[in-house]
Amino acid sequence: MNSDIVLEAKSVSKFFGTITALDNVNLKITKGEVLGVVGDNGAGKSTLMKVLSGLYKPSEGSLYFSGDKVILNSPRDSQNLGLEMVYQDLALAGNLPIGDNIFLGREPIKKIGPFNFLDHKKRKKLTEKHLEKLKINVQSADQKVEELSGGQRQAVAIARATAFNAKIVIMDEPTAALAVKEVGKVLDLILNLKNLGVSVIVISHRMDDIFTVCDRVMALFQGTNFAESMLKDTSRNEVIGWIMGKKD
Amino acid sequence: MKFLIKFVALVTMLFSFSVYAGSHQKTIMLSTKGPGAGNPFWASVEAGAKDAAEEFGVNLVILSPPQESDVMSQVAQIEDQIAKGVDGIAIAPTDPNAVAPILDDAIASGVPVVYIDTNGINEGVTFIGTNNINGAALAAQYICDNVPAGSDVAILQGMITQTTGQHRAEGSNKGLTACGLNIVAELPANWDTAQGMSVTEDIITGNPNIKAIFASNDNMALGAIQALKNADMLDDVVVVGFDANPDAAASVAAGEMSATIAQFSYNMGYMGVENALKLANGESIPDNIDTGTVLVTAENAADFM
Amino acid sequence: MDKNQESTFIKLIPFFEKYGILLLILIMVTVLHLLQPDVFLSWRNVTNIFKQVSWQSMLALGVFMVIVTAGIDLSVGSIVMLSLMGLAIASKAGLPWYVVMLVAPAVGFLCGLFNGLGITLLRMPHPFIMTLGTLYIFRGVGNLISGGVPITGFADQIRVIGNGKIKLESILGEGAREYIPTSLILMIVIFFLFWIFLNHTRIGKWIYAIGGNPGAARAAGINVDRILVIVYTLCGFLAGIGGLILAGRTNSAYPNAGLQSELDAIAAVIIGGASFFGGRGTVLGVFAGVMIMGILRNGLNLMNVSVFWQQVLIGSIIILAVYIDVLRRQLSTRN
Repeated sequence: MNSDIVLEAKSVSKFFGTITALDNVNLKITKGEVLGVVGDNGAGKSTLMKVLSGLYKPSEGSLYFSGDKVILNSPRDSQNLGLEMVYQDLALAGNLPIGDNIFLGREPIKKIGPFNFLDHKKRKKLTEKHLEKLKINVQSADQKVEELSGGQRQAVAIARATAFNAKIVIMDEPTAALAVKEVGKVLDLILNLKNLGVSVIVISHRMDDIFTVCDRVMALFQGTNFAESMLKDTSRNEVIGWIMGKKD
Repeated sequence: MKFLIKFVALVTMLFSFSVYAGSHQKTIMLSTKGPGAGNPFWASVEAGAKDAAEEFGVNLVILSPPQESDVMSQVAQIEDQIAKGVDGIAIAPTDPNAVAPILDDAIASGVPVVYIDTNGINEGVTFIGTNNINGAALAAQYICDNVPAGSDVAILQGMITQTTGQHRAEGSNKGLTACGLNIVAELPANWDTAQGMSVTEDIITGNPNIKAIFASNDNMALGAIQALKNADMLDDVVVVGFDANPDAAASVAAGEMSATIAQFSYNMGYMGVENALKLANGESIPDNIDTGTVLVTAENAADFM
Repeated sequence: MDKNQESTFIKLIPFFEKYGILLLILIMVTVLHLLQPDVFLSWRNVTNIFKQVSWQSMLALGVFMVIVTAGIDLSVGSIVMLSLMGLAIASKAGLPWYVVMLVAPAVGFLCGLFNGLGITLLRMPHPFIMTLGTLYIFRGVGNLISGGVPITGFADQIRVIGNGKIKLESILGEGAREYIPTSLILMIVIFFLFWIFLNHTRIGKWIYAIGGNPGAARAAGINVDRILVIVYTLCGFLAGIGGLILAGRTNSAYPNAGLQSELDAIAAVIIGGASFFGGRGTVLGVFAGVMIMGILRNGLNLMNVSVFWQQVLIGSIIILAVYIDVLRRQLSTRN
């Protein structure tokens, strides 16, 4: 089983002033693998994901994409390397329509003379196609995000992460605000991505999520690597214990 | 029958004459720097204008910007009245330079203009107002006559960006220097009572032997008096204001303000309307009309209250 | 209302959102025409209104962009004054007219850049603070370089923008005194360009995104600080153009230029429907807000109404405009 490691974080630390959010943390994920990340509030999960996506720069340590060491100066750099993220707070601009949010920062443009202008038609078409593919039900691609329900917004955030042929998708608590039926859809989507060879990192505190879709699970505790296991080698109780800082 | 025809003819003539007069009643615009409410100076200008309007049968329009610094509002008001077909304008310009173009427009459109209170820069326009240099000189003379030679004195300036402020500062400075007094401070308090008070506080702190203060308007003089009262110095200092508004006149009568200079702001309004009307009727008027100044002391203060 | 009536009304809401304000202007114009039939719609009066609002419309447009990012620029009035002073000094120094004309927007550009860099580099907690400071600083500098006295008298070419007239004799026949003010043409061109910028370019889209959720903008890889600097610089630039227009109109760089005009600019933006909290508003709305204030002032002037009433009415309209928006939101969430 010699799968390629698509993303690796080695000895990553992150300090905010005197606060140590991450201390010497390692993470790696292979092609088509679904990795679950668990930990209590404040364990450093979201911080680690923001380092991986380029929103934060690591204070120490380095990142490797497909074996190459990279320095990310902004989320755009990680996007260019094929990494997409669904943030815990969704990071959607409610005052803008769905299509604008999906393509924020990478809007389709048309050139008129020396100037770049937004290609509204193309954006709308691509959005409608993508929403249909994911079977997301909304009134129109021009609807403002603030008019959508919580579940619909989550769907838009996921749609954004899957619209650009990502190689790695990170999802931070993707089912937290969802109704039961919608949770199933998200988990199905994760398995679809896996089948397409996309690597997925899932942060979740729900054991159902972890034990339904993940191949492997790792736990952070107080900013450090605490435990890790292939899913078949562990149990729900053990993982819950990890979250609370208990190891056998 | 003949009588009837004559009578009908006479009545028709009279009727058409009055209609003619009525339809040709001139409209004169009075454009002041600020509203009469809250400033007795402009209130009396307006009073003079209204009396002249009544006497000469003029339709009077009074407009002013909400504050004296709002130049563009005055420009807009003049523009709008020209569009409405006003026959003459008597204006106290908020900023003589900035309103010059719109007044040129007015004159070019055949609407005559006179300045009141503050002189403007447009060529050939009559100025009706106080000679502020002379008025300030009167004040300086009073101070010269009432304090020992060589004493410390101070001047509170108005808005030194306005010609009125410049002239009163100039006239008082000259007069006080000429009779050998020592001007220890000459600072702006921008026509404002509160600023007059704080500037005076600073002056007397540094110059406790001061014997007289000339304030370029009554508002600042009243502020100065308050500062002197607080420092228990009012009895030792001669305070002279400028404008002779009712509050100042009362203060002079009560022995707090020593004197003030009366402008005839009423005349500015009255003569402004009168002369704008003359121009509108095709008559000519002098280039300069001095509305006069007079020293106001305890003896004649009652006339100005 | 029964369901059918209600749903038709609800369907009309987006239409009113976009064009309701034009309807309001139409009503105002009709009422004023009835009250002042010979004057209000005369060519002279209509061109007066455009001339009167033209310089302020530049400030409103700049402040609008800043407000969309959930910021504010209190210094625009002072930027007008400083750019006017810069232009005057360049003029008195004998520089050619085409250089002098560029000085005003250039000074405005630099002032705006100063604001933008200060807000971002100094990590000011809110742009209110930075621009409150520059409100004083810019006017103070303007007074220092002019000595506190007006500088008057500019070449005719410099005055063209604010005071120029395009005569229509060729179209309307000889002796026709009707004209189109150059400042109106400038206003239309600039508003059109900024409409394209805000609605049809990426940066325009990002400006709205930053106002809606700056975190989302960052997560999308947008350099929020860079965009903010651009926005404040453009705002200053527009204020500088306002100064150029004023130079034409008054032929003088006077110390009180632009005093308190930042409040008028903010009022026009709010009346035009932009949200003070950012992320919402249209260029057309700003234009309408500017026109509403100009038409109101002009109408009240024509009727010789005291300026105090004008103040009361404008303040009331601000509150009314926002209240209508509050009602609209309640209606749409109820559905």
